[in-house]
Amino acid sequence: MNPHPDLTAGVIRGLGWLYLLLALANVYWSVRSFKKDGYYERLFGIDHVPKAFGWAAYASILLLFACAHLVFSSSADDFMIRLPEFFKSNVDILIANPISYFVISIVIFVAMVVWRNWWVEPTIAWILFNMSVLFLALSMTDYDFRQIVGKPDNVPIVAMLYLVGFFTWLYFYKCRDNDRRLANGLPPAEKELSETVLTWPDLVYSEMICMVLLTVVLILWGVALPAPLEEPASAVKTPNPSKAPWYFLGLQEMLVYFDPWMAGVVLPTVILGGLMAIPYIDFNKIGNGYYVYEKRKFAVLTFLFGFLPLWVAMIVLGTFIRGPNWNMFGLYEYWDVHKLEVLNNVNLSDMFWLDLMRQPLPRPDSTAAWYVQLVTILQREWLGLVLIVLYLVALPPIMALTVFRKFFARMGFLRFMVLANLILMMWSLPLKMALRWSLNLKYIVAIPEFFFNI
Amino acid sequence: MVAAVKEAQQAGKPVAPKLPAQPAKPKLPVKEQKVTRRSFWQMLSSVTISPFAVAWTVMATIGGVWSLAAARFLMPNMVRELPSKFKVGAISDYPPNAVSEKYTASRGVWIVNTDQYNGQPLLYSLLAICTHLGCTPSWLSGEQKFKCPCHGSGFYITGINFEGPAPRPLERVGLTLGADGLLEVDKSLKFQEELGQWSDPKSYVELG
Amino acid sequence: MSSIIEYIRKSQIWRSVFRHPAPYDRRNRAVVVLTNFFLHLHPVSVKKGGIALSYTWCMGGVTFFLFLVEALTGVLLMFYYRPTLEWAFTDIRALRDVTTLGIMREIHRWGAHAMVITVWLHMYRVFLTGSYKPPREFNWVIGVILLVLTLLLSFTGYLLPWDQLAIWAITVGSNMARATPFLGHEGPGFQLLNIGGYDLITNASDARFLLLGARTVGEETLNRFYIMHCVAIPIVVSLLIAIHFWRVRKDGGISQPL
Repeated sequence: MNPHPDLTAGVIRGLGWLYLLLALANVYWSVRSFKKDGYYERLFGIDHVPKAFGWAAYASILLLFACAHLVFSSSADDFMIRLPEFFKSNVDILIANPISYFVISIVIFVAMVVWRNWWVEPTIAWILFNMSVLFLALSMTDYDFRQIVGKPDNVPIVAMLYLVGFFTWLYFYKCRDNDRRLANGLPPAEKELSETVLTWPDLVYSEMICMVLLTVVLILWGVALPAPLEEPASAVKTPNPSKAPWYFLGLQEMLVYFDPWMAGVVLPTVILGGLMAIPYIDFNKIGNGYYVYEKRKFAVLTFLFGFLPLWVAMIVLGTFIRGPNWNMFGLYEYWDVHKLEVLNNVNLSDMFWLDLMRQPLPRPDSTAAWYVQLVTILQREWLGLVLIVLYLVALPPIMALTVFRKFFARMGFLRFMVLANLILMMWSLPLKMALRWSLNLKYIVAIPEFFFNI
Repeated sequence: MVAAVKEAQQAGKPVAPKLPAQPAKPKLPVKEQKVTRRSFWQMLSSVTISPFAVAWTVMATIGGVWSLAAARFLMPNMVRELPSKFKVGAISDYPPNAVSEKYTASRGVWIVNTDQYNGQPLLYSLLAICTHLGCTPSWLSGEQKFKCPCHGSGFYITGINFEGPAPRPLERVGLTLGADGLLEVDKSLKFQEELGQWSDPKSYVELG
Repeated sequence: MSSIIEYIRKSQIWRSVFRHPAPYDRRNRAVVVLTNFFLHLHPVSVKKGGIALSYTWCMGGVTFFLFLVEALTGVLLMFYYRPTLEWAFTDIRALRDVTTLGIMREIHRWGAHAMVITVWLHMYRVFLTGSYKPPREFNWVIGVILLVLTLLLSFTGYLLPWDQLAIWAITVGSNMARATPFLGHEGPGFQLLNIGGYDLITNASDARFLLLGARTVGEETLNRFYIMHCVAIPIVVSLLIAIHFWRVRKDGGISQPL
């Protein structure tokens, strides 16, 4: 008996219900398509074929899938519908590598923005949704995937991914309409809903329905998934891996690249300060209270970049992919405690003194006075310090004179400086990541004597 | 051409077309024309002693005093911990080139016997707290390294960091050989390699 | 049947509670909102766009409702929970094993996770509709503070079951405080705060010590987090929620194009 079976009778039955739900959803979609999508003039020699035909065929295949799962009664090992091994290993290679993971998330982000008017088409969005559900369902046939995604504390993250995806879709969908209206000099669609209705009953009753639905969801969720309770706390037995609560895993991921005082204190403070500063640095009067993309591209793109690849994707990485010893593991990979990953990182000062100057590192004399030591340390780290100062002090004026010229003119000195520094802070994370991957750079400034590492 | 322009200028202003009478604008208070030194001081004092400033200062002071008092109140003067000095047995309990985990679970230290740090056979005690974020690393004897499960920092048997995000080596705590022939760990003493403190004789016991 | 309802409606008790006729006509539908304490959070009438689900996503309302659920289940859980090393874990396990409707703990935990998600989505929607622009700037700031407090509520609650998951998540999370600049004993610049060679900031006097009440996550920490989770933060959150709602009304009303 395999202790880590990819498939069990319970999993097969659960997946059967999932396929059944998906099939029913696609039956609905076929009806919708029949009413809205029209006809192919000529297909396989037959005239006037409804486009809904394709959806109906797909829904029946799903129904067959569901039946195959639900009536299957022999040994689970013989069940055929499962994810092929070559797919698993290729996905693992792509996912379990910080460079490809981050590059993929950026590529998806860029594609999402560039092709926004294409993928917001309901049909395309529905296809994407179906693909994601199929991916999830087929992946559930893998033992290791199930172990991680099925953890009760991780289920909300899967739900969050679908919610974030849906609302991002909704945003771009509404923007397509509003962008066209604004380009034609019309008011946004939301203005047309400015007719007033009485709070009682319109608002009060929708609030009540919302409360009822939420209560039902919470109770079902509570019945289906028991809240985790592990062994009693022990101060000496560190679990491997030790993870912060899931909503802080984006910060924990930053800890790989930055020193704790940066990743744990300075950057969170900057994030919160930056969020609070948004209304005061966004001088754009357009888009006050309605969905619009074209006329506030910069603000929206900056926010989406911070929220999607730098926050949500980092949480996914920290939750599903970081395993024992904080190594990266593929979605279908066993969490092996002894997986070896070479992490020999060097500081910028090492590169400068050892590789470039071919000298030993200036080492402060521990018997000398502190200011003498400080001079030696500054001499050792001068290159990194200069680079940091250039990044934070010299770049903003350059930005003001070049790319952000119009912004600077409209924002004034103080606002622009706040904006420029917030953007530079935000970009410091991907920059530091890229430096780590390309040069194995550990710290740009490394002064462990004063706990000052950047 | 020039003459024509001059002529036009001399002819005087063209007569403006008569506009309908405008309603009289309300008079705005005239701004102070120049700021003398004296009026600057007056202005400053009027700002600083104005009821507005006084009220806000009082509010801020009260808030500050309450916050500081709360913070100080929440800072306990006493903690319940085990004593920092404890005996860990004789030298002979610690064979060469080995890391003893005997006191890791109870007291959070490893006792290491190795000659890899400076060629001399030394006995020293490393604090089992990762210098990155304070998790407890585990000693992997197969790979001869300390490995932290939280963010993957790795340290050699000497305690020197070589992989992962840890910024500096593990810390040593005090280890001395008492007159009774027993080793004593003193966790109140800390020795950091990057500050050159590992040369302090209280941080190790030299083996013959 | 209808006569019974009529009788109840006409009774002195009913009329003393609801001092107006049933909200069947337009006038009384306005009056009910104005005279009811809970409903007068709302304006009498709203723009259609302000209650369109596809526009507001209802995420702020869901967050508030989840806060109420958390308060209710939280109070119930407090009856069975003692924040001590001896009892904390056992009490939570007893909720699972012996308490009828121990599902309250599940609802509390999943509600907390859901609240973190909905509060993010609420912020996401408010940003995407540009609803932070004048005159709503300051309400956005209050919203960001509420977001932080929601995360802190969830974080402090994470420790209370006192299992391996709890203690190590809090250890990893709170260890960052030791690296606070100036105020942490392993943060840059703490050496500057010393008087006559004595460090003011040590591992027994820094930001982390203040947070944990000890040098390591122990009973003092459990007590501190318990009080923060059950009393201190909820009071502040309730106050800020009140301000947040009040300002929604004052700063241009429920979301709509301005």
